[in-house]
Amino acid sequence: MNDEWKAKLTEFESRRKRARELGGQRRIDRAHTAGRYTIRERLERAAESFSEVGEFATYDDVDALGNLRGQLPASYVMGLGTFAGRHVAIGGEDFTVRAGAPQTYLDRMKGGLGGFIEDLAHEYRIPLVMFMEGVGGDVAAQGEKGHSYLVSSLSWKRSYELLAEVPVLAMVSGASAGGTAGRTVLSHFSVMTKDSVFFAGGPPLVKRALGKDLTKEELGGAQVATRSGAIDNLAEDEDDAFEQLKTFLSYMPQNVWEMPPRGERTDPVDRPLDEILDILPTNGRKPYKAVSVIEPIVDRGSFFEIGKYWGKSVTTGLARLDGIPVGVLASNPMHLGGAMDAQAAEKQIRFVDMCSTFHLPLVYLVDVPGFMVGPDAERNNVVRWGMRAIQSLVEAEVPVVTVQVRKAYGMAVSATSDPDGLSLRIAWPTAEWGDLPVDGGVDAGFHREIEEAEDPDAYRTAVQQRMRDLADPWRTVEAFGVEAMIDPRETRAMVADFLNASLHKVRTDLGPQKRQWTIRP
Amino acid sequence: MRLEKKGHAAMATHHAPTDATVWKIVKNVGDVVAEGEEIVILESMKMEVPVLAEQDGTVTKLHVEPNQAIAEDEPVADVE
Repeated sequence: MNDEWKAKLTEFESRRKRARELGGQRRIDRAHTAGRYTIRERLERAAESFSEVGEFATYDDVDALGNLRGQLPASYVMGLGTFAGRHVAIGGEDFTVRAGAPQTYLDRMKGGLGGFIEDLAHEYRIPLVMFMEGVGGDVAAQGEKGHSYLVSSLSWKRSYELLAEVPVLAMVSGASAGGTAGRTVLSHFSVMTKDSVFFAGGPPLVKRALGKDLTKEELGGAQVATRSGAIDNLAEDEDDAFEQLKTFLSYMPQNVWEMPPRGERTDPVDRPLDEILDILPTNGRKPYKAVSVIEPIVDRGSFFEIGKYWGKSVTTGLARLDGIPVGVLASNPMHLGGAMDAQAAEKQIRFVDMCSTFHLPLVYLVDVPGFMVGPDAERNNVVRWGMRAIQSLVEAEVPVVTVQVRKAYGMAVSATSDPDGLSLRIAWPTAEWGDLPVDGGVDAGFHREIEEAEDPDAYRTAVQQRMRDLADPWRTVEAFGVEAMIDPRETRAMVADFLNASLHKVRTDLGPQKRQWTIRP
Repeated sequence: MRLEKKGHAAMATHHAPTDATVWKIVKNVGDVVAEGEEIVILESMKMEVPVLAEQDGTVTKLHVEPNQAIAEDEPVADVE
């Protein structure tokens, strides 16, 4: 090696060393004390391989008066990675450098809002995995530029575009605020560690704007963010969060042009399902956990719940059935009796849109007494959200298999199948349906007739009996008003059979979604 | 379940899993309960939603009365 080479390589090594030092030992120690990894440790632990891009991009660290203190690596680390055995664009903010602020000081952003990492995911059609830890923009940015700037000069277009092209996954550890929080929710799946925080603006901002003293946990702790629906899942720690990201990705194709990856077919579709008869109460007043009915039907151990802590009257998650990745929705009678409120509708819409985008067939286990009623429901705009939920199913371009488990009353039922598609509704003998349940419906529909009768109670009883006879689900089955009635123990085999056949449709429907309408009401 | 340390025994406050009215008090203060037993049954959208003991112990406090409306996450009973 000649001296010139030696000099060039020495400079290279010293620059690489500096890049690896992040924002300095003091800030790295602070992360470790709080039980968090640095961005480089995250990438090291989560990815099986990592080809870094923009390693030597630099940030001029200045004090509040603009005097240069030194140079630090740019506040984002990213590149091409292997994650769960798959090529992904992967990266995240470096919180040790100006709290992960956007790199508006570079010629080209590395990531966080557009930037190279998003172009990589878009151009190569590979998933985007983001580790979010940053507080968004700050006033220091105008010092760097020499002038203030309109935030609208930065485009979010690529971030939105990716949602229709490749799986986008986000993990929050530490604080995700402002622009970083905004970027976080532009994902198909997000997970935060239980001691992280997420908000539009942090406690100092809230104190100034509203005069309210709140801790950051009260304002945007995991309890708040996973119950509002801003973040999908909760993780014990970062290692748990990495695992959840990998699990989520295992059901997903690399992009919307590819088939979702079929898993192993080791769980026989005709295995006994007798436990369903013990789990499902025949008494309609007794609730059960939706998960307890989902789990026996799908491949053993394959159900991955998404959004457990919000919109709880509908349970959603990914699973496999005969190895086929599917989106599962189920009414959850443990919460509001399974009635669809605004939150449940919102959760369902996002889930259905995602499954349709990535061509995952849907399986819906229905036990819904209707849209939620009452003053809270009305204040939360349940009718509009409910109608949007119906639209999500009308627009979904994937096969939908609906299982009528117990109740199916009112408009909410329209949000559980695809009447314009095959509309395959498979009923169990416990199923019941109609516009309204007979007991309340008789008083609502015939109250004048009942009041005017000689013996109102006897008249009511007679009307109820007549309506109950008419409501017998077997009458609907005989009229082919429902496509099948089966022994619940046959569910797994029958659903698997139809899902297998439906893959012919899925394969020929690959590519971006062709939505009929541009807006939701 | 949130565990609150009180002396040496662990006290568990049981919360309402959903918006509901209190339908039936199954166990009263002083009653011994085993994990999984019903303490109170709520009614929500005509469904009987049980509040189950999350540990063995004695009911030390009931925060609710029959027919009372209760919101999700409000305390129902203490077991210690």
